[in-house]
Amino acid sequence: MDFDETALGGLIEESKDTHADALRGAKAPLQDMVELGREARAGRGVDADESRAFASENRRRLLSTAKRAGGLLGVTGVIAAIAEFIGSPAFAASATDVQVLQTASSIEVLAVSTYKTALGLPYIGGSSANPVIKTFATTTMQQHTDHLAAFQAATTSLGGTKQTKPDPAFVPVVDKAVASITKASPSSGALLVVGLALELENIAAETYVNNMSLLSNANAKKVTASIMGVEAQHVAVLNAVQALLKAGAAADITLPPPAAKLPAAAGSVGFPNAFYPTSQAAPATQGAMS
Amino acid sequence: MSANEPMHISEAELRGMTADLDAMHHDLALPALHDSLAEWAADIHQRSTGDQAEETAAQALFGRRRFLTRAGVVAGGAAGAAMLAACSSSSSSSSSSAAASASASGGTATAAAAMGGEGQSLSGDLRVVGMAASLENSGVATYQAGIAAATAGKLGTVPPAVVNFAETAMAQHEDHQKAWNAVLTSAGKKPVTAVDPVIQPTITTAFTKVTNVTGLAKLALMVENIAGETYQNGLSVITSPAGIKTAASIQPVEFQHAAILYFILGQYPVPSAFTAVTNARSATDYQT
Repeated sequence: MDFDETALGGLIEESKDTHADALRGAKAPLQDMVELGREARAGRGVDADESRAFASENRRRLLSTAKRAGGLLGVTGVIAAIAEFIGSPAFAASATDVQVLQTASSIEVLAVSTYKTALGLPYIGGSSANPVIKTFATTTMQQHTDHLAAFQAATTSLGGTKQTKPDPAFVPVVDKAVASITKASPSSGALLVVGLALELENIAAETYVNNMSLLSNANAKKVTASIMGVEAQHVAVLNAVQALLKAGAAADITLPPPAAKLPAAAGSVGFPNAFYPTSQAAPATQGAMS
Repeated sequence: MSANEPMHISEAELRGMTADLDAMHHDLALPALHDSLAEWAADIHQRSTGDQAEETAAQALFGRRRFLTRAGVVAGGAAGAAMLAACSSSSSSSSSSAAASASASGGTATAAAAMGGEGQSLSGDLRVVGMAASLENSGVATYQAGIAAATAGKLGTVPPAVVNFAETAMAQHEDHQKAWNAVLTSAGKKPVTAVDPVIQPTITTAFTKVTNVTGLAKLALMVENIAGETYQNGLSVITSPAGIKTAASIQPVEFQHAAILYFILGQYPVPSAFTAVTNARSATDYQT
């Protein structure tokens, strides 16, 4: 076979130019993807609309680049594949939904372990415990276990890896609180336990409320929506229990409550907001896996 | 302290705690909600500009019906109680019931309130909003009727904490109704001031049998669970992110009301790990 080295050199040069063009075309969206990832790791979360807009815009840009390159080179095939991927529903779901679900799982892991620790205290899970508080802690731990399983199942159904570790940002806070609780007397310890549980339940509820507008996948939305109201119910109960404990009225934590004995304001202490806030919501990707 | 000893908490202490939480609510939650509502309204307005001609024709067609409906419906105050009572008086002649006792103040037009919505054509997210507003109206009316019956001594002894619960829950349902209607009016629609046309007959019938706090709590529990489940279902239907934020901020509150009602009834306050949608009202139930 005869070679025209000059012509071949020209073709190689042309292919290099095409390759460079292709890489230049890919550079901007890839930088944007990296930036999205950095934002997620920085705890600022990922905006679902921004993610979708990014996918739509850059899919067109990448496909245009691949077309200009003539589809002759492997790199253009790769670009086209990336373009198809980020433009697909799977990207919208996996880029944000999986991370959001992993964060939710990490909160549930922490909640389960916290209630488990609390139930090890004699005045929460032992013989000296108030029966209502003991039942609540036991039942709530089981409900969080169920929530964890649901979030993990939703994660794997989207092709993600299920999160089994607690939210790293909250672990030091909980550890510090638990250390204080173990040194406290039963009466003040019970109040600290309820305060910690209330904090975690509010974070869970507010995070899930906040996550609803970030999720794209229908199943992820349904799972989250079916759980956030339950966390809010935990909050309502804990608000009421906390008020009674602070008032030195632990004996009035009964089921049914001694309604006739309670002051009027006790009727509404459980649900102070007409609209559930999100100021304490965890960043959507805080508990996501790298 | 034994269970029979008086509580060491004062009304002032509890009110102080509630005031702190309320301040947080107004500082943080409400501004965020206002942003969501404004964003949603703008989104809906943008989408609906093409439907204006069709809307005008529908409004003209249903104008008379809307007038009749609005004439007898909640305009604030005690109208909700009267409305519920009037509805109940048409379905039951029980003079011993709280509803029947309150029916004397009801107007004849209130029956029209239970017949349907406002008569305006709503579609997409706005249909969900219209249905939600009417559902909130039914919630407000239920609590108003209950409070009126309690005040009239028709429910026996009513603990102050239960009265406070009912007043606060009713006020929050009023806030929800205002939020939904703000979306409607921002989108150029009329506010929905009628009660829920589908669920109201059930509420009305049930209210005729309410003779004590337990009966009222059971009825309120049914309304709260339906509301919570409806918004939960709506989260899968609403398309606007701002609309999803709004529904998501209301759904947990309805379930919190339900938790306290379970407690009042002596039942476990968080009966399930997952809230359901089996009793949710469909957006298509909204009657135009």
